[in-house]
Amino acid sequence: MAKIFIVLALGFVVGFRGILKEKGLKINAKLQTVWLMLLIFCMGVSIGRNGDIIQALPSLGGKALLYAVLAVIGSIVAVYLLTKVFLRKGAKE
Amino acid sequence: MSKAILIALVLGIGAGVIMPEGVSGFLDTASSYMLLILLFSVGIDMGVNREVFGQIRRMGLRILVIPLGVILGSLAGGAICAMILRMDVKEGLAITSGLGWYSLSGILMTEAGNPIGGTISFLSNVFREVLTFLLVPVLAGRNVYTAIAPAGATAMDTTLPLLSKYTDSKTAILAFVSGVICTLAMPVLVPLFC
Repeated sequence: MAKIFIVLALGFVVGFRGILKEKGLKINAKLQTVWLMLLIFCMGVSIGRNGDIIQALPSLGGKALLYAVLAVIGSIVAVYLLTKVFLRKGAKE
Repeated sequence: MSKAILIALVLGIGAGVIMPEGVSGFLDTASSYMLLILLFSVGIDMGVNREVFGQIRRMGLRILVIPLGVILGSLAGGAICAMILRMDVKEGLAITSGLGWYSLSGILMTEAGNPIGGTISFLSNVFREVLTFLLVPVLAGRNVYTAIAPAGATAMDTTLPLLSKYTDSKTAILAFVSGVICTLAMPVLVPLFC
């Protein structure tokens, strides 16, 4: 967790100080897209190589998927409603 | 774009299954470093937009309604799911309290003496992360706040780059805060229901 804070803060300082000019920022954005896809691929690899996941999938996968789907729907609905009530101004600012 | 993400993910999972242990292990380790590099790049985007912090400061404590919604919504989903599956509601609450942090949530339940619940929790939180990858681009186009919702605890690390890419710097910071709070809440919530 500390590592995450440190790299984010370092990046933040670089951005805030204006160390990267417009061109650099564009390159940063492009690299991000490629890097993100690579990362998602690697995360897939982590899932695929994990024997526990693949083994448990046939017996408990259906239940687990239903839990995931309902938790996600519940979160979306709750966040939608709460932000509508409390962050309406925030969204317009 | 969701399609590209789905393809990358499916290819990765397939590759992970068939690759030799050594190669996939290397990629597994490499991915945590790749994430740190990506988060550095996300940090740059956050820092560039100087006016964002003023906006967030003005929102004050109201920004906490996002993690609150994520947690309450996940618990509601877990309770409903347990009723559908005719399982113990407390067990359902423990499963969705994982908030997408699969490496720890399953272990906590297993250690509390429920290995089957622990396995369901582990898998369902893996699925939650996968669903987040697919849903963020779709939700971000409609309502940026709801794009944060599926991410749960992962909004502070693995899904933050995605959220940053598809929303704006302000939402990325809100997502990060929400992820941190979910990450702190998870180890408290799961044992509460075990």
